[in-house]
Amino acid sequence: MHKYRFSRKSLGVPYALFLLIFVAAPLFVLIYYAFTNGRGQFTLQNLTGFFSDPNTLGTLFYSFGIAFATTVVCLLLAYPTAYVLAASRLRAKSVLIMIFIMPMWINFSLRITALKEILTWLEGSLAYHPFLNTVLGMSYDFLPFMILPIYTTISKLDGALLEAAKDLGAGDAQAFLRVTLPLSLPGVISGVSMVFLPAMTNYVVLDMLYNSTYIMGSLIGSYFSAYNWHGGSMIALILLGIICLFTLLTGGMEEENTRGGALL
Amino acid sequence: MTGRRIAKRMEKMKRRLCSGLLLCICVCLFMPMKSVLASSKEAGEEGSGERDVQTVTLRVSNWEEYIDLGGWDEEETIDLDSGDIIGENSMIEDFEEWYYKTYGIKVKVEYSTFGTNEDLYNMLTLGDTYDLVCPSEYMIMKLMAEDQVVPLSEDFFDTRDNNNYYINGVSPYIKSIFEENEIQGRYWSDYAAGYMWGITGIVYNPQVVSEEEASSWKILNDPKYHRQITIKDNVRDSYFAAMGAVKSGLLTSEEFLNDPDYKKNLEKEMNDTSRKTLAEVQDYLQDVKNNAYSFETDSGKADMITGKAVINLQWSGDGVYTLDQADEDDFTLAFAVPEEATNIYFDGWVMLKNGINGDAAKQHAAEAFINFNSRADNVIRNMYYVGYTSVISGGEDRRIFEYADWCYGAEESEEEVSEYDVGYFFSKDKEGKDYVITAPADQVYRQLFAQYPTEEAISRSALMTYFDEEQNQAINQMWINIRCYNIHDVPVWAWAAAGAVVFVLAAFTIRALKKR
Repeated sequence: MHKYRFSRKSLGVPYALFLLIFVAAPLFVLIYYAFTNGRGQFTLQNLTGFFSDPNTLGTLFYSFGIAFATTVVCLLLAYPTAYVLAASRLRAKSVLIMIFIMPMWINFSLRITALKEILTWLEGSLAYHPFLNTVLGMSYDFLPFMILPIYTTISKLDGALLEAAKDLGAGDAQAFLRVTLPLSLPGVISGVSMVFLPAMTNYVVLDMLYNSTYIMGSLIGSYFSAYNWHGGSMIALILLGIICLFTLLTGGMEEENTRGGALL
Repeated sequence: MTGRRIAKRMEKMKRRLCSGLLLCICVCLFMPMKSVLASSKEAGEEGSGERDVQTVTLRVSNWEEYIDLGGWDEEETIDLDSGDIIGENSMIEDFEEWYYKTYGIKVKVEYSTFGTNEDLYNMLTLGDTYDLVCPSEYMIMKLMAEDQVVPLSEDFFDTRDNNNYYINGVSPYIKSIFEENEIQGRYWSDYAAGYMWGITGIVYNPQVVSEEEASSWKILNDPKYHRQITIKDNVRDSYFAAMGAVKSGLLTSEEFLNDPDYKKNLEKEMNDTSRKTLAEVQDYLQDVKNNAYSFETDSGKADMITGKAVINLQWSGDGVYTLDQADEDDFTLAFAVPEEATNIYFDGWVMLKNGINGDAAKQHAAEAFINFNSRADNVIRNMYYVGYTSVISGGEDRRIFEYADWCYGAEESEEEVSEYDVGYFFSKDKEGKDYVITAPADQVYRQLFAQYPTEEAISRSALMTYFDEEQNQAINQMWINIRCYNIHDVPVWAWAAAGAVVFVLAAFTIRALKKR
């Protein structure tokens, strides 16, 4: 037996174990349930069932709608904020950033409860605009996840590039559109993926803001409380598939963009 | 005296919060030290032998916040005429001590909790083992039908044994229900011992809603209270209430009420899962969803108190809690039991086969645990702590009635009082002149009514049994139909918008890829 030598690789062992126990193993259980029926036989019925049931498809559509609207709202709020933050020459920049990150330190259910009271005060009753309330709640919740990556990419931009653009005769607007915006896209993309996907399943926000329509997360929950683990697992698996697809697409684009930046 | 009870409760809340924080800090500080100490102690004891073999481990799973955990303040003492009652230690510690004193056997209770009946069932299916659990009646029936439970022993029903507090103290009314109901030829009473019980009803704001309006399930889709109604986010409760509304005409007709088989017919109607009823209920609940403020899991109580909602479909135990909390804010709420029918429910103890596993010592400890929790003073402690109503009436021991009187009886200075008869619950012959509470007049439709409904309200109660797999699936499908957004309902503009978004994203991606 040769002597054990500590190498850098060994540092990865705890995480590898963690992945194995808490990610890989449950995933196999999930796949097993998704493709079996109550008697443990292999079946594709859960899969075909998902795509032929108007309720599950409708829920998927509704969840996409909420996630899309949330992402747009977050993006519209976060991009200008991040831009101004990154471009400002204030010395107290770190304090400013802190102000934007601080909400993340407060427990999210507490934040939503506060929002609930504010919205009730503004709208009279939360019951009239469930979709709008949900989007606002989610945006409130996820906004920091959008600001941070965009801020990081913009603040890392090489100022010389902008000066070069101006030297070559570009106006402020043109310089922003042709230089800053394309170069900040990687930040935007990682922000989008950090907001869009959780927004599809975070049903706690809906519950707390009195939206009685199911989204993907609550639909899975309802399958489980009806002892239908197989249908529930299939929905979870399909969501996982959508996430993978999304990551692949955006990953490809991100790579493209960084390369583009280097060329420029 | 309700005021006193409430003030004490508030105090208890605060105290619980503080002691909770303190405990957290202590645990953080001393945990490492304690474990070192414990391990050295264990090592020391290991050799000393045989005595420890006697220790019985009892794995109990109960609802969250459903048993007295002790630690009451001096001021919280319930000062009944027959003596003071106070919870110093948790019921579990007290049981371990009592069991050792009474039977000379050490018992260690491993106590855990669950959130819903379905959660418990899923945990059992996943292989968690418990000896004694406390699900609701329909889950008990499901477990009985699946042959997962152990029958209670003959000794448990021996009324001569003074330690058999359950059989000597259970309310005759509840006892008869347990003896009359069966599943697959097995009677509940042979397998399950009740713990708490209640009915479903409506908590309403009497300043806005009249008692008459609140006395029908039909109020749940009343457009007059548009966006002011909340309903339990629970398929069984919603289904029952909706059936009450849909069948209102039938259920309140003279003919139906005067039928000698009324009770039997009522139960049959309220457990109807025919396709026609399901369709009607679905339509009705769709209306309810469009008209209501929301379905709620836990926010219903707070929303009644803050006035966001004026009508709330609620369980009687939580109804008492809501009314108590509202009283603190000088805001008056009331409780009504609809005239069509009300769902009577129980939580009860059953022993599980794969936990007990034929171990007589364990079964004895499990049954003793039920009995200990049925002793009058312990029943009062649990009721005070939890807020629900126990199935135990006390038998010869009058302390539980005394406690009800202590909670709700009128002060001598009270001007308007009512005589409130709870004889059906407390006495065998139902002629209970002995069991009348002289209560403030408004208690007749408030906390006292929710805690111990009148015999008249109880006469309309129906059990909702467990549904077999097929029925269960049909009902859950109906629920999903109501809660989900149907793809056929997507308006054209939304499809167009979705199409546009997909198109833009696709164009963007293709352009990016082409550039490469």
